[in-house]
Amino acid sequence: MTQEDKKIEVKGSNLVRRNFFLRMLGIGTACAGTWVGSGNLIARAQSAETAAAAAPKIPDYDWNKHKWAFGVDATRCIGCLRCVEACKAENGVTQDAHHFRTWVERYVYLEGDERAHVDSQSDAQNIAASGSEKEFRFDNRYKDAKIEKAFFVPKLCNHCTHPACVQVCPTGATYQTKDGVVLIDHSYCIGCQYCVQACPYGVREFNHVLGVTDKCTWCYHRITKGLQPACVEVCPVEARVFGDRNDPQSPISAFLRNNRVSVLKPETGNAPNVFYVGIDKEVC
Amino acid sequence: MPKHIARLLLLVVVLATAALTAKHYFTDKSYYAYGHYRGDSVAEIASDEPRFRGNEYCKTCHAKQYDSWLESTHNQPVIGKHVKCEVCHGPVGQHPSAAQAPLSVDERIAMGSKAPVAAVATDGKLPLPKDRTKCIQCHEAMPGRPAAQRQVVLAAHAGTEQCTACHDPHSPKINFAILAKAPHGDAAAGKVLAATCAACHGAAGASVNPAWPNLAGQHAGYLVNALQAFKSGTRPNAMMSGMAAGLSDADINNVAAYFSQASCKTAGADPAKALLGKTKAASCALCHGANGVSPSTAWPSLAGQNPDYLSDTLKSFQDGTRNHPVMTSIAKTLSADDVAQLTAYYASTSCK
Repeated sequence: MTQEDKKIEVKGSNLVRRNFFLRMLGIGTACAGTWVGSGNLIARAQSAETAAAAAPKIPDYDWNKHKWAFGVDATRCIGCLRCVEACKAENGVTQDAHHFRTWVERYVYLEGDERAHVDSQSDAQNIAASGSEKEFRFDNRYKDAKIEKAFFVPKLCNHCTHPACVQVCPTGATYQTKDGVVLIDHSYCIGCQYCVQACPYGVREFNHVLGVTDKCTWCYHRITKGLQPACVEVCPVEARVFGDRNDPQSPISAFLRNNRVSVLKPETGNAPNVFYVGIDKEVC
Repeated sequence: MPKHIARLLLLVVVLATAALTAKHYFTDKSYYAYGHYRGDSVAEIASDEPRFRGNEYCKTCHAKQYDSWLESTHNQPVIGKHVKCEVCHGPVGQHPSAAQAPLSVDERIAMGSKAPVAAVATDGKLPLPKDRTKCIQCHEAMPGRPAAQRQVVLAAHAGTEQCTACHDPHSPKINFAILAKAPHGDAAAGKVLAATCAACHGAAGASVNPAWPNLAGQHAGYLVNALQAFKSGTRPNAMMSGMAAGLSDADINNVAAYFSQASCKTAGADPAKALLGKTKAASCALCHGANGVSPSTAWPSLAGQNPDYLSDTLKSFQDGTRNHPVMTSIAKTLSADDVAQLTAYYASTSCK
């Protein structure tokens, strides 16, 4: 055997070993891939089957049996802002004039004006009138003005049937529950605020302390215990109505039966579930 | 297959497997349970404790307040009005604290400052505002509020007086019958003392000088308040302060009882002025009655009163020589003509 031949043989045996190693690695990876992949697929298939019937473990509550909706009768609202303060107290919303899950707008048409003057409780003049960023009231700036028409409109998350905010969330932190409520899982929210941008109604607020987006939950912790959302609970004039559309006797079913309702910005295709009575062309 | 393609494919497979394996281990078990989100978060959000706990919860300890609210204008479900406890008082939260809970409200009141305090000082406790801020959140007259909402123009309603001076927030409609009970006095004993008053106010309470007030038929409660105010100096008056200083509380009650039961005489005034005055008297009617007979015994009746005395009184409120939380601000809205016409109207209304 020449030296040349030896070299070739050594090279050859090396090649054989390397090929064997690579082949084994390939087979191993394929097996692992199949195992993980099939595991995932099976899990997903199972979850798709059971998701329809399964429900989160909430005591005495089955989300398959409810379809929540909200009504606002702007003709009844007196602008007392009890709902705004109640929401903050119930849900621990940041106590300042910049973070709200629900708010109230005032629309004032002065005589001869085409467009409405709009302000909300977080307006600087109203904050000055209340003297605090933790308590809210509307100042009486129009008391001597010639008013054509004026009214208050409570606003909150519309809990849309096709929520744009859920569609854009990159992590699955925000989602729609089976009973029609749009929630945020703060442990999965990365604070990118795509949802804040996507919401056509501007209802999402950003918690700068926790670095997560926050929003109205229709007080999910209350409605799943048979209570009304805090804003509905404290509304002294029934301007806010809440209930289960699956129950024909519920306040919201009666509200929808007895009134001609509208929704905000129907053209966006979000299909809101907050229904308004007595709002005007400029309310959006 | 060419070697370089096989290697590339192998690399893709290795990376994909690593990624899938990592996802399998790092994704929460409940993630796809109901959809593209962490299924457990639904129950987590639903498990929060409510802070607003409703009227029935408050009722268990505060039954008296609850009962008076139940029948009041703040609870009219028929017209969709529910001013529940927590609308004004704020969320109950963890009130009462575990330390308070075994004791009833009455027991805690009896203990005074030794009573255990609430877990969170503000929970369910209404910090009573020193001004009218609480009530005016709903009741200040404001464009945009529906007409059905009860509203008051602040500048024209009760001056700077607190709302609670006349209204019980649990049952805000004024109940004049229970508002102020006139102290019981002996009219016969009062008649003896009244001889001193006769020089100015007439033997039967019909004043001899139109600048001085008739007392006959006036509410006893008001007469008592006025005499006590002269006596204590809160209502300074050159003549009356000295007169009242010599009267005991019983004397005051007796004199008041005597004059309130005496038959009155209507002063009378120019009918043309009185007619004009009647149209302006609507804002006085709430406290002084539509015909000048006040619904509360604590407030003065104006019917049949001397017009000169009434206008002097209004002027003294206007120039500040006399002060009253309600009347001072109301008097300042009246012109000289208003005063003349209003006093003429009340002077001509029948005192009984």
